Amino acid sequence: MKKTVIPFGPQHPVLPEPLVLDLVLMDEKVVDAIPTIGYIHRGLEMMVERVEYTEMGFVVERICGICSFMHGMGYCVSLESIMNVEVPERAGWLRLIWAEISRIQSHLLWLGLGADAFGFENLFMHCWRMREQILDIFEKTTGGRIIHSVNRIGGVKRDIADSELAAILVQLQELGAAFKDTARVFRTDPSIAHRLGGVGVLTTEDARAVDAVGPMARASGIATDTRLLGANFYDRVELEPVVETAGDCLARVLVRMREIDQSIDIVRQAIDKMPKGEGQPIENRPRGLPAGETFTRLEQPRGEVLYYVKANGTKNLERFRARTPTFANIPAMIKLVKGCDLADVPNIILTIDPCISCTER
Amino acid sequence: MDGSAFLARVGAYHEAGWRLALINATTVVAPAAGTHGHVTTAEAATTGAGAPTSAGEVPAPATPPAPSAPVAPPAVEAPGVFEIAWAFARGNEFETIREQIEAGEAVPSVSELFGAAFLYENEIRELFGINVTGIGLDLHGQLYKTATRVPFSHAAIKARLKANAAAVKKP
Repeated sequence: MKKTVIPFGPQHPVLPEPLVLDLVLMDEKVVDAIPTIGYIHRGLEMMVERVEYTEMGFVVERICGICSFMHGMGYCVSLESIMNVEVPERAGWLRLIWAEISRIQSHLLWLGLGADAFGFENLFMHCWRMREQILDIFEKTTGGRIIHSVNRIGGVKRDIADSELAAILVQLQELGAAFKDTARVFRTDPSIAHRLGGVGVLTTEDARAVDAVGPMARASGIATDTRLLGANFYDRVELEPVVETAGDCLARVLVRMREIDQSIDIVRQAIDKMPKGEGQPIENRPRGLPAGETFTRLEQPRGEVLYYVKANGTKNLERFRARTPTFANIPAMIKLVKGCDLADVPNIILTIDPCISCTER
Repeated sequence: MDGSAFLARVGAYHEAGWRLALINATTVVAPAAGTHGHVTTAEAATTGAGAPTSAGEVPAPATPPAPSAPVAPPAVEAPGVFEIAWAFARGNEFETIREQIEAGEAVPSVSELFGAAFLYENEIRELFGINVTGIGLDLHGQLYKTATRVPFSHAAIKARLKANAAAVKKP
Protein backbone atom coordinates (compact mmCIF):
# COMPACT_ATOMS: atom_id res chain seq x y z
CA MET A 1 0.00 0.00 0.00
CA LYS A 2 1.14 3.53 -0.72
CA LYS A 3 2.40 5.58 2.18
CA THR A 4 1.09 9.09 2.79
CA VAL A 5 2.89 11.77 4.76
CA ILE A 6 0.69 14.17 6.69
CA PRO A 7 2.22 17.10 8.56
CA PHE A 8 0.82 17.48 12.09
CA GLY A 9 1.40 21.05 13.17
CA PRO A 10 2.89 23.63 13.63
CA GLN A 11 -0.62 25.04 13.33
CA HIS A 12 -3.16 22.49 14.45
CA PRO A 13 -6.56 23.07 16.06
CA VAL A 14 -5.92 20.65 18.90
CA LEU A 15 -2.58 21.99 20.01
CA PRO A 16 -1.95 25.65 20.74
CA GLU A 17 1.79 25.08 20.62
CA PRO A 18 3.91 24.58 17.52
CA LEU A 19 4.87 20.93 17.78
CA VAL A 20 5.63 19.43 14.38
CA LEU A 21 5.31 15.76 13.53
CA ASP A 22 5.50 14.32 10.06
CA LEU A 23 3.10 11.39 10.24
CA VAL A 24 3.69 8.58 7.77
CA LEU A 25 0.39 6.81 7.22
CA MET A 26 -0.69 3.57 5.62
CA ASP A 27 -4.43 3.90 5.20
CA GLU A 28 -5.54 5.19 8.63
CA LYS A 29 -2.66 3.71 10.63
CA VAL A 30 0.39 5.72 11.59
CA VAL A 31 3.53 3.77 10.75
CA ASP A 32 6.11 6.41 11.54
CA ALA A 33 6.39 9.84 13.09
CA ILE A 34 9.31 12.21 12.67
CA PRO A 35 9.56 15.08 15.17
CA THR A 36 10.79 18.56 14.41
CA ILE A 37 11.25 21.34 16.91
CA GLY A 38 12.65 24.82 16.69
CA TYR A 39 9.71 26.98 15.69
CA ILE A 40 10.01 28.81 18.99
CA HIS A 41 13.68 28.22 19.69
CA ARG A 42 14.74 31.46 21.35
CA GLY A 43 18.27 30.60 22.35
CA LEU A 44 17.62 31.29 26.03
CA GLU A 45 20.52 29.06 27.12
CA MET A 46 22.93 31.16 25.09
CA MET A 47 21.70 34.28 26.89
CA VAL A 48 23.78 33.42 29.98
CA GLU A 49 26.74 34.75 28.06
CA ARG A 50 25.23 38.22 27.97
CA VAL A 51 22.91 38.43 30.98
CA GLU A 52 24.31 38.62 34.51
CA TYR A 53 23.69 35.60 36.70
CA THR A 54 21.49 37.59 39.10
CA GLU A 55 19.16 38.60 36.29
CA MET A 56 19.24 35.29 34.45
CA GLY A 57 16.72 33.84 36.92
CA PHE A 58 14.04 36.07 35.47
CA VAL A 59 14.94 34.92 31.95
CA VAL A 60 14.81 31.28 33.01
CA GLU A 61 11.36 31.89 34.44
CA ARG A 62 10.19 32.93 31.01
CA ILE A 63 11.15 29.60 29.41
CA CYS A 64 7.55 28.55 29.87
CA GLY A 65 4.42 30.23 31.17
CA ILE A 66 2.95 27.22 32.93
CA CYS A 67 5.81 26.00 35.09
CA SER A 68 7.42 29.44 35.39
CA PHE A 69 7.67 29.27 39.17
CA MET A 70 9.47 25.93 39.08
CA HIS A 71 11.91 27.14 36.45
CA GLY A 72 12.84 30.14 38.56
CA MET A 73 13.12 27.93 41.62
CA GLY A 74 15.34 25.42 39.82
CA TYR A 75 17.70 28.13 38.69
CA CYS A 76 17.95 29.63 42.16
CA VAL A 77 18.45 26.23 43.81
CA SER A 78 21.30 25.52 41.37
CA LEU A 79 23.05 28.80 42.11
CA GLU A 80 22.51 28.32 45.86
CA SER A 81 24.23 24.96 45.75
CA ILE A 82 27.17 26.45 43.81
CA MET A 83 27.50 29.41 46.18
CA ASN A 84 26.84 27.37 49.36
CA VAL A 85 23.86 29.42 50.48
CA GLU A 86 21.39 28.06 52.96
CA VAL A 87 17.81 29.14 52.31
CA PRO A 88 15.96 30.44 55.41
CA GLU A 89 13.39 27.97 56.65
CA ARG A 90 10.36 30.15 56.00
CA ALA A 91 11.53 30.79 52.42
CA GLY A 92 11.97 27.08 51.77
CA TRP A 93 8.44 26.35 52.90
CA LEU A 94 7.04 29.24 50.86
CA ARG A 95 8.77 27.87 47.79
CA LEU A 96 7.29 24.44 48.40
CA ILE A 97 3.80 25.91 48.80
CA TRP A 98 4.06 27.96 45.62
CA ALA A 99 5.49 24.99 43.73
CA GLU A 100 2.58 22.77 44.73
CA ILE A 101 0.02 25.46 43.92
CA SER A 102 1.58 25.85 40.48
CA ARG A 103 1.33 22.09 40.02
CA ILE A 104 -2.43 22.29 40.67
CA GLN A 105 -2.66 25.17 38.21
CA SER A 106 -0.78 23.26 35.52
CA HIS A 107 -2.81 20.08 35.92
CA LEU A 108 -6.10 21.98 35.79
CA LEU A 109 -4.95 23.76 32.65
CA TRP A 110 -3.99 20.49 31.07
CA LEU A 111 -7.21 18.69 32.05
CA GLY A 112 -9.10 21.51 30.36
CA LEU A 113 -7.05 21.24 27.19
CA GLY A 114 -7.49 17.48 27.18
CA ALA A 115 -11.24 17.81 27.60
CA ASP A 116 -11.33 20.29 24.74
CA ALA A 117 -9.40 17.86 22.53
CA PHE A 118 -11.91 15.08 22.95
CA GLY A 119 -14.84 17.40 22.48
CA PHE A 120 -15.97 18.29 26.00
CA GLU A 121 -16.10 22.08 25.75
CA ASN A 122 -18.03 22.54 28.97
CA LEU A 123 -15.57 20.45 30.94
CA PHE A 124 -12.78 22.58 29.51
CA MET A 125 -14.46 25.73 30.81
CA HIS A 126 -15.03 24.24 34.26
CA CYS A 127 -11.37 23.24 34.59
CA TRP A 128 -10.18 26.65 33.52
CA ARG A 129 -12.66 28.37 35.83
CA MET A 130 -11.00 26.55 38.73
CA ARG A 131 -7.55 27.36 37.41
CA GLU A 132 -8.55 31.01 37.45
CA GLN A 133 -8.98 30.81 41.25
CA ILE A 134 -5.41 29.52 41.54
CA LEU A 135 -4.16 32.37 39.38
CA ASP A 136 -5.95 34.76 41.73
CA ILE A 137 -4.03 33.24 44.65
CA PHE A 138 -0.80 33.79 42.75
CA GLU A 139 -1.73 37.36 41.93
CA LYS A 140 -2.51 38.08 45.56
CA THR A 141 0.65 36.49 46.94
CA THR A 142 3.29 37.19 44.29
CA GLY A 143 1.88 40.08 42.28
CA GLY A 144 1.91 38.17 38.99
CA ARG A 145 -0.52 35.69 37.54
CA ILE A 146 1.80 33.80 35.19
CA ILE A 147 5.30 35.16 35.69
CA HIS A 148 5.80 35.52 39.43
CA SER A 149 9.46 36.55 39.83
CA VAL A 150 9.42 35.83 43.57
CA ASN A 151 12.45 33.54 43.55
CA ARG A 152 15.80 35.04 44.32
CA ILE A 153 19.14 33.39 44.78
CA GLY A 154 19.09 32.73 48.51
CA GLY A 155 15.39 32.90 49.18
CA VAL A 156 12.18 34.54 48.07
CA LYS A 157 11.19 38.13 47.56
CA ARG A 158 7.85 38.19 49.38
CA ASP A 159 6.41 36.69 52.50
CA ILE A 160 2.83 35.53 52.88
CA ALA A 161 1.10 36.50 56.13
CA ASP A 162 -0.04 33.59 58.30
CA SER A 163 -3.67 34.74 58.11
CA GLU A 164 -3.44 34.76 54.34
CA LEU A 165 -1.92 31.28 54.28
CA ALA A 166 -4.87 30.00 56.31
CA ALA A 167 -7.27 31.66 53.86
CA ILE A 168 -5.43 30.09 50.92
CA LEU A 169 -5.72 26.66 52.49
CA VAL A 170 -9.47 27.08 52.94
CA GLN A 171 -9.76 28.23 49.35
CA LEU A 172 -7.75 25.26 48.09
CA GLN A 173 -9.78 22.78 50.10
CA GLU A 174 -13.00 24.25 48.75
CA LEU A 175 -11.53 23.97 45.27
CA GLY A 176 -10.59 20.35 45.94
CA ALA A 177 -14.16 19.59 47.03
CA ALA A 178 -15.57 21.31 43.94
CA PHE A 179 -13.09 19.48 41.74
CA LYS A 180 -14.51 16.14 42.88
CA ASP A 181 -17.61 16.90 40.85
CA THR A 182 -15.55 17.61 37.74
CA ALA A 183 -13.36 14.59 38.37
CA ARG A 184 -16.47 12.43 38.48
CA VAL A 185 -17.11 13.28 34.81
CA PHE A 186 -13.58 12.23 33.82
CA ARG A 187 -13.90 9.00 35.80
CA THR A 188 -17.40 7.86 34.89
CA ASP A 189 -18.43 9.33 31.57
CA PRO A 190 -18.78 6.48 29.05
CA SER A 191 -17.71 8.62 26.06
CA ILE A 192 -14.46 9.59 27.78
CA ALA A 193 -13.79 5.98 28.76
CA HIS A 194 -14.43 4.96 25.17
CA ARG A 195 -12.25 7.72 23.72
CA LEU A 196 -9.27 7.35 26.08
CA GLY A 197 -9.46 3.86 27.57
CA GLY A 198 -7.02 1.43 25.98
CA VAL A 199 -5.68 4.12 23.61
CA GLY A 200 -1.95 4.79 23.45
CA VAL A 201 -0.83 2.11 25.89
CA LEU A 202 2.73 2.54 27.13
CA THR A 203 3.80 -0.62 28.92
CA THR A 204 6.12 -0.50 31.91
CA GLU A 205 9.00 -1.99 29.90
CA ASP A 206 8.52 0.53 27.10
CA ALA A 207 8.37 3.40 29.57
CA ARG A 208 11.71 2.27 31.01
CA ALA A 209 13.23 1.76 27.55
CA VAL A 210 12.47 5.31 26.43
CA ASP A 211 13.26 6.90 29.82
CA ALA A 212 9.84 8.44 30.37
CA VAL A 213 9.49 10.86 33.30
CA GLY A 214 6.74 12.28 35.47
CA PRO A 215 3.04 11.44 35.17
CA MET A 216 3.83 9.64 31.91
CA ALA A 217 6.01 7.10 33.74
CA ARG A 218 3.72 6.95 36.78
CA ALA A 219 0.71 6.11 34.60
CA SER A 220 2.70 3.13 33.31
CA GLY A 221 3.33 1.72 36.76
CA ILE A 222 6.76 3.19 37.51
CA ALA A 223 6.78 4.71 40.99
CA THR A 224 9.18 7.55 40.19
CA ASP A 225 8.88 11.01 41.63
CA THR A 226 11.77 13.43 42.01
CA ARG A 227 10.11 14.93 45.09
CA LEU A 228 10.86 11.67 46.90
CA LEU A 229 14.57 12.57 46.80
CA GLY A 230 13.73 14.90 49.65
CA ALA A 231 15.48 18.06 48.50
CA ASN A 232 13.84 21.48 48.91
CA PHE A 233 11.92 20.56 52.10
CA TYR A 234 10.07 17.68 50.46
CA ASP A 235 11.60 15.32 53.03
CA ARG A 236 9.53 17.06 55.70
CA VAL A 237 6.15 16.29 54.15
CA GLU A 238 4.56 12.93 53.56
CA LEU A 239 3.84 11.98 50.00
CA GLU A 240 3.25 8.81 48.06
CA PRO A 241 3.85 8.74 44.31
CA VAL A 242 0.57 8.52 42.42
CA VAL A 243 0.80 5.38 40.30
CA GLU A 244 -1.62 3.88 37.80
CA THR A 245 -0.86 0.67 35.97
CA ALA A 246 -2.98 0.75 32.81
CA GLY A 247 -0.57 2.98 30.89
CA ASP A 248 -3.24 4.30 28.51
CA CYS A 249 -4.49 7.85 27.95
CA LEU A 250 -7.13 7.47 30.66
CA ALA A 251 -4.49 6.41 33.20
CA ARG A 252 -2.51 9.57 32.47
CA VAL A 253 -5.65 11.65 33.09
CA LEU A 254 -6.29 9.83 36.38
CA VAL A 255 -2.71 10.33 37.59
CA ARG A 256 -2.94 14.08 37.09
CA MET A 257 -6.35 14.28 38.76
CA ARG A 258 -5.10 12.43 41.82
CA GLU A 259 -2.02 14.63 41.94
CA ILE A 260 -4.26 17.68 42.37
CA ASP A 261 -5.62 16.17 45.59
CA GLN A 262 -2.09 15.20 46.62
CA SER A 263 -0.79 18.73 46.10
CA ILE A 264 -3.60 20.24 48.17
CA ASP A 265 -2.65 17.82 50.94
CA ILE A 266 1.03 18.77 50.69
CA VAL A 267 0.13 22.47 50.96
CA ARG A 268 -1.91 21.64 54.08
CA GLN A 269 1.03 19.80 55.65
CA ALA A 270 3.41 22.62 54.77
CA ILE A 271 1.21 25.30 56.30
CA ASP A 272 0.91 23.10 59.40
CA LYS A 273 4.63 22.55 59.77
CA MET A 274 6.20 25.84 58.76
CA PRO A 275 7.40 28.22 61.48
CA LYS A 276 4.75 30.81 62.30
CA GLY A 277 5.12 34.51 62.91
CA GLU A 278 5.79 37.74 61.08
CA GLY A 279 9.16 39.23 60.28
CA GLN A 280 11.13 36.03 59.81
CA PRO A 281 14.07 36.10 57.42
CA ILE A 282 13.10 35.04 53.93
CA GLU A 283 16.27 35.84 52.07
CA ASN A 284 19.89 34.96 52.62
CA ARG A 285 21.79 37.00 50.10
CA PRO A 286 24.92 35.33 48.72
CA ARG A 287 28.22 37.17 48.58
CA GLY A 288 30.80 37.05 45.83
CA LEU A 289 30.53 35.46 42.43
CA PRO A 290 29.62 31.86 41.67
CA ALA A 291 32.30 29.35 40.67
CA GLY A 292 31.65 25.67 40.14
CA GLU A 293 29.07 23.49 38.53
CA THR A 294 25.98 21.58 39.54
CA PHE A 295 23.12 19.44 38.33
CA THR A 296 19.72 20.11 39.89
CA ARG A 297 16.65 17.90 39.68
CA LEU A 298 13.12 19.00 40.47
CA GLU A 299 9.70 17.51 39.90
CA GLN A 300 7.74 19.82 37.66
CA PRO A 301 4.06 19.21 36.89
CA ARG A 302 5.14 17.40 33.71
CA GLY A 303 7.92 15.39 35.26
CA GLU A 304 11.56 15.59 36.19
CA VAL A 305 13.40 18.70 35.09
CA LEU A 306 17.17 18.83 35.07
CA TYR A 307 19.35 21.93 35.20
CA TYR A 308 23.07 22.02 34.54
CA VAL A 309 24.78 25.21 35.60
CA LYS A 310 28.49 25.92 35.19
CA ALA A 311 29.91 29.10 36.63
CA ASN A 312 33.47 30.33 36.30
CA GLY A 313 33.79 33.08 38.86
CA THR A 314 32.59 35.89 36.63
CA LYS A 315 29.22 37.56 36.66
CA ASN A 316 28.16 35.64 33.56
CA LEU A 317 27.63 31.90 33.77
CA GLU A 318 29.59 29.70 31.42
CA ARG A 319 26.80 27.28 30.61
CA PHE A 320 23.18 26.88 31.54
CA ARG A 321 21.18 23.91 30.34
CA ALA A 322 17.60 22.99 31.13
CA ARG A 323 16.40 19.53 30.19
CA THR A 324 12.67 19.86 30.52
CA PRO A 325 10.23 16.98 31.07
CA THR A 326 8.61 17.31 27.65
CA PHE A 327 12.00 16.91 25.99
CA ALA A 328 12.44 13.64 27.88
CA ASN A 329 8.94 12.48 27.00
CA ILE A 330 9.07 13.08 23.25
CA PRO A 331 10.65 9.64 22.53
CA ALA A 332 7.81 8.06 24.50
CA MET A 333 5.28 10.04 22.51
CA ILE A 334 6.78 8.92 19.21
CA LYS A 335 6.71 5.35 20.43
CA LEU A 336 2.98 5.68 21.22
CA VAL A 337 2.03 7.40 17.99
CA LYS A 338 3.53 4.61 15.88
CA GLY A 339 0.85 2.06 15.20
CA CYS A 340 -2.14 4.08 16.36
CA ASP A 341 -5.06 5.41 14.35
CA LEU A 342 -4.80 8.89 12.89
CA ALA A 343 -7.88 9.96 14.87
CA ASP A 344 -6.17 9.05 18.16
CA VAL A 345 -3.01 11.06 17.47
CA PRO A 346 -4.28 14.34 19.04
CA ASN A 347 -5.32 12.61 22.26
CA ILE A 348 -2.06 10.71 22.58
CA ILE A 349 0.00 13.82 22.00
CA LEU A 350 -2.02 15.78 24.52
CA THR A 351 -1.77 13.18 27.24
CA ILE A 352 2.00 13.59 27.45
CA ASP A 353 1.16 17.22 28.33
CA PRO A 354 3.55 18.69 25.77
CA CYS A 355 5.08 22.06 26.50
CA ILE A 356 6.93 23.07 23.39
CA SER A 357 8.24 26.35 24.80
CA CYS A 358 10.04 24.28 27.44
CA THR A 359 11.34 21.83 24.88
CA GLU A 360 12.88 24.37 22.54
CA ARG A 361 13.98 27.06 24.98
CA MET B 1 37.99 9.29 22.28
CA ASP B 2 38.03 5.51 22.40
CA GLY B 3 34.64 4.56 21.00
CA SER B 4 34.40 0.92 22.04
CA ALA B 5 35.68 1.50 25.59
CA PHE B 6 33.20 4.36 25.95
CA LEU B 7 30.29 2.24 24.73
CA ALA B 8 31.28 -0.49 27.19
CA ARG B 9 31.12 2.02 30.06
CA VAL B 10 27.71 3.25 28.94
CA GLY B 11 26.57 -0.35 28.48
CA ALA B 12 27.43 -1.08 32.12
CA TYR B 13 25.03 1.69 33.21
CA HIS B 14 22.36 0.26 30.94
CA GLU B 15 22.84 -3.23 32.40
CA ALA B 16 22.57 -1.93 35.93
CA GLY B 17 19.21 -0.31 35.24
CA TRP B 18 20.21 3.34 35.07
CA ARG B 19 18.13 5.86 33.16
CA LEU B 20 19.67 8.32 30.71
CA ALA B 21 18.85 11.73 32.16
CA LEU B 22 20.73 14.08 29.87
CA ILE B 23 23.40 14.40 27.22
CA ASN B 24 24.88 17.85 27.51
CA ALA B 25 27.57 19.60 25.53
CA THR B 26 29.63 22.50 26.82
CA THR B 27 32.04 24.56 24.80
CA VAL B 28 35.50 24.50 26.37
CA VAL B 29 37.39 26.22 23.56
CA ALA B 30 35.14 27.92 21.05
CA PRO B 31 35.74 26.90 17.45
CA ALA B 32 36.92 29.60 15.06
CA ALA B 33 34.36 32.30 14.29
CA GLY B 34 31.79 31.62 11.64
CA THR B 35 31.89 27.86 12.04
CA HIS B 36 29.94 27.51 15.26
CA GLY B 37 26.42 26.29 15.81
CA HIS B 38 23.65 27.07 13.40
CA VAL B 39 25.80 28.31 10.57
CA THR B 40 27.69 25.04 10.38
CA THR B 41 24.54 22.99 10.35
CA ALA B 42 22.87 25.22 7.81
CA GLU B 43 25.76 24.54 5.46
CA ALA B 44 25.60 20.84 6.23
CA ALA B 45 21.91 20.78 5.47
CA THR B 46 22.21 22.59 2.17
CA THR B 47 25.35 20.92 0.87
CA GLY B 48 24.25 17.50 2.06
CA ALA B 49 20.75 17.64 0.54
CA GLY B 50 19.99 14.80 -1.81
CA ALA B 51 22.73 12.59 -0.45
CA PRO B 52 21.02 10.73 2.38
CA THR B 53 24.04 8.69 3.42
CA SER B 54 26.23 11.68 4.04
CA ALA B 55 23.65 14.35 4.81
CA GLY B 56 23.94 13.83 8.53
CA GLU B 57 27.71 14.06 8.61
CA VAL B 58 28.41 17.53 9.83
CA PRO B 59 31.77 18.67 8.53
CA ALA B 60 34.33 19.47 11.15
CA PRO B 61 34.02 23.12 12.09
CA ALA B 62 37.76 23.49 11.64
CA THR B 63 37.78 22.45 7.99
CA PRO B 64 37.48 25.27 5.47
CA PRO B 65 33.95 25.63 4.07
CA ALA B 66 33.04 24.93 0.47
CA PRO B 67 33.83 27.79 -1.93
CA SER B 68 30.13 28.63 -2.30
CA ALA B 69 29.57 28.93 1.46
CA PRO B 70 28.66 32.46 2.54
CA VAL B 71 30.88 32.57 5.66
CA ALA B 72 34.47 33.72 5.83
CA PRO B 73 37.09 30.95 5.92
CA PRO B 74 37.96 30.19 9.56
CA ALA B 75 41.37 29.98 11.16
CA VAL B 76 42.38 26.33 10.97
CA GLU B 77 44.94 26.51 13.79
CA ALA B 78 42.40 26.67 16.65
CA PRO B 79 40.03 23.70 16.63
CA GLY B 80 37.15 23.85 19.09
CA VAL B 81 37.08 21.61 22.16
CA PHE B 82 33.80 20.44 23.64
CA GLU B 83 33.01 18.61 26.82
CA ILE B 84 30.14 16.17 26.57
CA ALA B 85 28.47 14.84 29.69
CA TRP B 86 26.27 11.75 29.66
CA ALA B 87 24.20 11.89 32.85
CA PHE B 88 22.54 8.80 34.29
CA ALA B 89 20.02 8.62 37.10
CA ARG B 90 18.77 5.75 39.21
CA GLY B 91 16.57 6.68 42.15
CA ASN B 92 18.60 8.99 44.34
CA GLU B 93 21.86 8.30 42.49
CA PHE B 94 23.16 10.52 39.74
CA GLU B 95 26.38 9.99 37.81
CA THR B 96 27.97 11.44 34.71
CA ILE B 97 30.47 10.24 32.17
CA ARG B 98 32.49 13.10 30.75
CA GLU B 99 34.62 13.21 27.66
CA GLN B 100 36.51 16.06 26.06
CA ILE B 101 36.50 15.93 22.29
CA GLU B 102 37.93 18.05 19.55
CA ALA B 103 35.63 19.53 16.95
CA GLY B 104 35.06 17.04 14.16
CA GLU B 105 36.04 14.03 16.26
CA ALA B 106 33.52 11.21 15.91
CA VAL B 107 31.35 10.51 18.96
CA PRO B 108 29.50 7.18 18.95
CA SER B 109 25.76 7.30 19.52
CA VAL B 110 24.28 5.55 22.58
CA SER B 111 20.79 5.33 21.08
CA GLU B 112 21.14 1.56 20.69
CA LEU B 113 21.19 1.31 24.48
CA PHE B 114 18.97 4.21 25.51
CA GLY B 115 15.88 4.86 23.42
CA ALA B 116 15.69 8.52 24.40
CA ALA B 117 19.24 9.36 23.33
CA PHE B 118 18.48 10.22 19.71
CA LEU B 119 16.87 13.54 20.60
CA TYR B 120 19.84 14.77 22.65
CA GLU B 121 22.28 13.58 20.02
CA ASN B 122 20.50 15.26 17.14
CA GLU B 123 20.37 18.40 19.23
CA ILE B 124 24.07 18.60 20.13
CA ARG B 125 24.95 17.87 16.53
CA GLU B 126 22.80 20.70 15.26
CA LEU B 127 23.50 23.31 17.91
CA PHE B 128 27.18 22.54 18.54
CA GLY B 129 28.21 20.86 15.30
CA ILE B 130 29.46 17.77 17.16
CA ASN B 131 29.91 14.78 14.89
CA VAL B 132 27.72 12.08 16.48
CA THR B 133 27.72 8.90 14.41
CA GLY B 134 25.15 6.14 14.13
CA ILE B 135 22.13 7.85 15.69
CA GLY B 136 19.09 5.55 15.86
CA LEU B 137 16.66 8.07 14.42
CA ASP B 138 18.88 10.32 12.35
CA LEU B 139 17.13 13.58 11.52
CA HIS B 140 19.90 14.85 9.23
CA GLY B 141 20.07 18.34 10.63
CA GLN B 142 16.30 18.76 10.53
CA LEU B 143 15.44 18.61 14.23
CA TYR B 144 15.67 22.35 14.70
CA LYS B 145 13.89 23.94 11.77
CA THR B 146 15.99 27.04 12.27
CA ALA B 147 18.94 25.07 10.94
CA THR B 148 17.76 25.47 7.37
CA ARG B 149 16.14 28.86 7.65
CA VAL B 150 18.94 31.14 8.80
CA PRO B 151 19.43 33.95 8.22
CA PHE B 152 15.93 35.26 8.83
CA SER B 153 16.75 38.59 7.24
CA HIS B 154 14.37 40.31 4.86
CA ALA B 155 16.93 40.12 2.04
CA ALA B 156 17.37 36.36 2.50
CA ILE B 157 13.62 35.76 2.36
CA LYS B 158 13.33 37.92 -0.75
CA ALA B 159 16.13 36.01 -2.44
CA ARG B 160 14.48 32.70 -1.61
CA LEU B 161 11.12 33.85 -2.96
CA LYS B 162 12.83 35.02 -6.16
CA ALA B 163 14.58 31.67 -6.56
CA ASN B 164 11.28 29.84 -5.99
CA ALA B 165 9.53 31.98 -8.60
CA ALA B 166 12.30 31.30 -11.11
CA ALA B 167 12.07 27.56 -10.46
CA VAL B 168 8.32 27.62 -11.05
CA LYS B 169 8.66 29.52 -14.35
CA LYS B 170 11.30 27.24 -15.88
CA PRO B 171 9.20 24.26 -17.05
